[in-house]
Amino acid sequence: MRIPGILAAALLPLTALAAKKSTGDRFNDYHSKQVSTLASIKIDDVSYGEMTKAPRDYAVAVLLTALDARFGCALCHEFQPEWELLAKSWTKGDKKGESRLVYATLDFADGKQTFQSVGKRTLSSPVLLVFQPTVGPNAKPDGAPNRFDFVTGTDKAEPIHAWISRHLPDSPHPPLVRPINYVKYAVTTTAVLGGVTFLSVAWPYLLPVIQNRNLWAAISLITILLFTSGHMFNHIRKVPYVAGDGKGGLSYFASGFQNQFGLETQIVAAMYGILAFATISLALKVPRMTDPRAQQIAVFVWGGIILGMYSFLLSVFRIKNGGYPFFLPPF
Amino acid sequence: MAAISQGTGSKFFFEGESGRNTRGLLRLIILVTIAAAAVASRLFSVIRFESIIHEFDPWFNFRATKYLVNNGFYNFWDWFDDRTWHPLGRVTGGTLYPGLMVTSGIIYHVLRLLSMPIDIRNICVLLAPAFSGLTAFATYLLTSEMTTSPSAGLLAAAFMGITPGYISRSVAGSYDNEAIAIFLLVFTFYLWIKAVKEGSIMWAGFCALFYGYMVSAWGGYVFITNLLPLHAFVLICMGRFSPRLYVSYTTWYALGTLASMQVPFVGFLPVRSSDHMAALGVFGLLQLVGFTEWVRTQLPSKQFQTLLRGLVLVVFAAAFGFLVLLTVSGTIAPWSGRFYSLWDTAYAKVHIPIIASVSEHQPTAWPAFFFDLNMLIWLFPAGVYMCFRTLKDEHVFIVIYSVLASYFAGVMVRLMLTLTPIVCVAAAMALSNILDIFLVAEQPVEGAQPQANGNPRANGPTTATEKLASAIPDTLRSTKTPVVGIYSYLSKSAMTGAFTAYLLLFVLHCTWVTSNAYSSPSVVLASRLPDGSQHIIDDYREAYYWLRQNTHQTAKVMSWWDYGYQIGGMADRPTLVDNNTWNNTHIATVGKAMSSREEVSYPIMRQHEVDYVLIVFGGLLGYSGDDINKFLWMVRIAEGIWPDEVKERDFFTARGEYRVDEEATPTMKNSLMYKMSYYNYNALFPAGQAQDRVRGAKLPAQGPELSTLEEAFTSENWIIRIYKVKDLDNLGRSHQEAGAFEKGNKRKKSGKRRGARVLRVD
Repeated sequence: MRIPGILAAALLPLTALAAKKSTGDRFNDYHSKQVSTLASIKIDDVSYGEMTKAPRDYAVAVLLTALDARFGCALCHEFQPEWELLAKSWTKGDKKGESRLVYATLDFADGKQTFQSVGKRTLSSPVLLVFQPTVGPNAKPDGAPNRFDFVTGTDKAEPIHAWISRHLPDSPHPPLVRPINYVKYAVTTTAVLGGVTFLSVAWPYLLPVIQNRNLWAAISLITILLFTSGHMFNHIRKVPYVAGDGKGGLSYFASGFQNQFGLETQIVAAMYGILAFATISLALKVPRMTDPRAQQIAVFVWGGIILGMYSFLLSVFRIKNGGYPFFLPPF
Repeated sequence: MAAISQGTGSKFFFEGESGRNTRGLLRLIILVTIAAAAVASRLFSVIRFESIIHEFDPWFNFRATKYLVNNGFYNFWDWFDDRTWHPLGRVTGGTLYPGLMVTSGIIYHVLRLLSMPIDIRNICVLLAPAFSGLTAFATYLLTSEMTTSPSAGLLAAAFMGITPGYISRSVAGSYDNEAIAIFLLVFTFYLWIKAVKEGSIMWAGFCALFYGYMVSAWGGYVFITNLLPLHAFVLICMGRFSPRLYVSYTTWYALGTLASMQVPFVGFLPVRSSDHMAALGVFGLLQLVGFTEWVRTQLPSKQFQTLLRGLVLVVFAAAFGFLVLLTVSGTIAPWSGRFYSLWDTAYAKVHIPIIASVSEHQPTAWPAFFFDLNMLIWLFPAGVYMCFRTLKDEHVFIVIYSVLASYFAGVMVRLMLTLTPIVCVAAAMALSNILDIFLVAEQPVEGAQPQANGNPRANGPTTATEKLASAIPDTLRSTKTPVVGIYSYLSKSAMTGAFTAYLLLFVLHCTWVTSNAYSSPSVVLASRLPDGSQHIIDDYREAYYWLRQNTHQTAKVMSWWDYGYQIGGMADRPTLVDNNTWNNTHIATVGKAMSSREEVSYPIMRQHEVDYVLIVFGGLLGYSGDDINKFLWMVRIAEGIWPDEVKERDFFTARGEYRVDEEATPTMKNSLMYKMSYYNYNALFPAGQAQDRVRGAKLPAQGPELSTLEEAFTSENWIIRIYKVKDLDNLGRSHQEAGAFEKGNKRKKSGKRRGARVLRVD
């Protein structure tokens, strides 16, 4: 963190001539440029030094990013529009420059040295630096900039806005204004109207389908099977669908009681489904069969399926829980 | 097994008046046996260890019950507890669900009245098993309302009595709100079904009464508050509005809401929070629908009815909009965080780390379902399917309950508890169906004209109805043809035998799970010695007893919130934070003290008058539930309040690993928690050999040094370590300087002489 300060100090004698100009002018230049473009200022190594050099009565927020496709920084691309939105709404809300904050963007292609000087080696995520003013009413004696690493995957402007506001406590904080997404509204309205129209036309045909018990029974059973086989766990923990077993094959069942794969839950759901279906058949269908022979065969087929499936289920459960002592014959 | 004795109806004394009496007596005996089995299977921990309160929350409930018994009901109601949340205190009487304590208190006084002076601790320990017997009975009643089969209710009661999903929260010693709440939940549902079936104000009034009891006992009452309106709403949508529904719902809502508002902790929430708005909305909707139905009977004009229907829709939309407006304007509180996180599963992790940090709030993996419910889990969908056969009002309730509870149980492990009753009911319905069919002695006559099964629509092709409607039948496809019966004895005996075997396996499974997984008090740990004998690890009680004996009555103990209730209950010392977690900032303060450097932590501890710091360390024994493993949550919660001072990132190495060995980050090594955990630890090992058995890490040769704390107590297996916070130095030096002086280091010349010592300069 010390390095940029030293760097700025080192640059100071070189720019002594330029420093004759009052720092207020510098901010006004940047600010008028920002107001006219309503975007952050693109800078490079040289203008970075110029902008952040020591006696300054304004604050600078610099985003170090790598937008070139070669660096493959997905987060940079995700955050860039949010950053521009933040710069735009801040500038719009502060046309007079009362907050004395300049938004700047430094791409890796233009500022390799700066990246080195702030100690940023990986290009997988952007970094935000906020330089406090060194002179003026809100000056901070400590020259090192505040740094925000985008490691936790923040890609929204709101937390960044809050972070910047927290570091500039005494100046005004123009609110973040998201533009209204007219297309979204239009699409939603059209979809709702279309849906209402479709329903009113198709209602006589849909009604028997909606009132159909088989449909509702199917929906209920599928949801129940989905939830009792651990689908929500997959959804929340974002588990892999399937994993290799390290020997080139596939491992269908994750080891450990608190682990599971996506495919594994589907297998389990299918097993539950088969067992439930066999039970339903035994309870409802078999006693309705009029042919004794067919009925006997059906009883043994369904009974066999339950036995086999349940036994397999127990054996799968023994994989998950090593000490489980119970089993049924086939598996 | 109950079903077998029921189903094989021998003709001797199972017919006529005497037959009914015999059956009633048998049923009673079976139910009493089930209750006895339910109680007995919950006593493992008492027999193995001793009659002791388990876990964390029960210790608070126990302490509160003792307070109630000693100081009387009104003092308990107004209880301000200055021995927790130091220095804030807690308005305990107004922030707890008093149902559990009051129940125990009443039992205690009734028993004394009967000249049976039983220690309040034993009542608390045995309350949960006793109520599980009642739960089994309530399940019997509920299931009997659902089906005509005589065996289903008994099967359901047996399932409910021994299924591990319920035992997990109701073993002896697990003195928690759920101990009585599940009984109240099932019984309230039974009364509701009874009320809807009969349309009786009396049953609905009882339902409201038990709902009020439930509200006073457990925060999970919100489940009932939303499930009953949903049931009513679905019935209305299905075109099943009836005066019965109107009477039962309005009675329940009016009386139940009034009853729930008597609990101080709930207060005006039923009219002010979004969690309860569904009930209010359905109440309003029912009035509208009821009004429309009445007008319809008065007016024959078809046009007017259409107009009226439109009017109802408009009023409903307007009322809904009004509710939304009230919510937006803040008159009605938004969804409470705990409830909201059930729908938006990512919500808690982002906004309320304290909820996400609790292990029982994690999502449920499939083995947990199978572990807790065994074969019921696959009988469950079959039972739900069978509800669609006749689909009366009460069956709609089962379907809604099943789907919702499955979802909740999938999102949160602890909500398995609300799923268990309905699984037992549905599974019993499926199984009793099978047993009723296969356990009939008489054979159908081959080729006889099959009897109609009481479903006229399924009989023959429907010629009069619409083409489309006949293409999609109204009943289930599997029940279109009438029941014939089972012809061969071989099929009957094979199926009966198989299902008896599965049931026996189920009993074995339940006993095994209960004995192995759910009967540990977690205050006392058990391990096996190499020769197979049991070894009891009693570090917790050793340490709490040390605190009780060796510290001043008002010595404040700082620990992570998990241990707050135990310190309050067992050591009887004031704590900074406890399991109530009502004040996130206060918890974050403790988290910050634990995760910061000593120079930062010491002023915090001084400001909170901390005398002792208690931590749990499992490194020596390999006990994985220790504070270093919980440490990241402390960091996260502290970061939520002080994002600039505590950063989770600093506790991970450059490669993103959470390490405690030589390569741990400096922030980690300097944190108070790390230092307290490993202080003096390498003295146990030969030089450079110190080993952390939980994380499998070799520790740095040079152990951490503490300057502001001194070790006060370390338990036998090092699980609990207690440190005393040093007083300010007599000579006004900082503790670091004093420590350096003691060691004989030369004092660094500091340029300027500082003024009077202050704790913290803001």
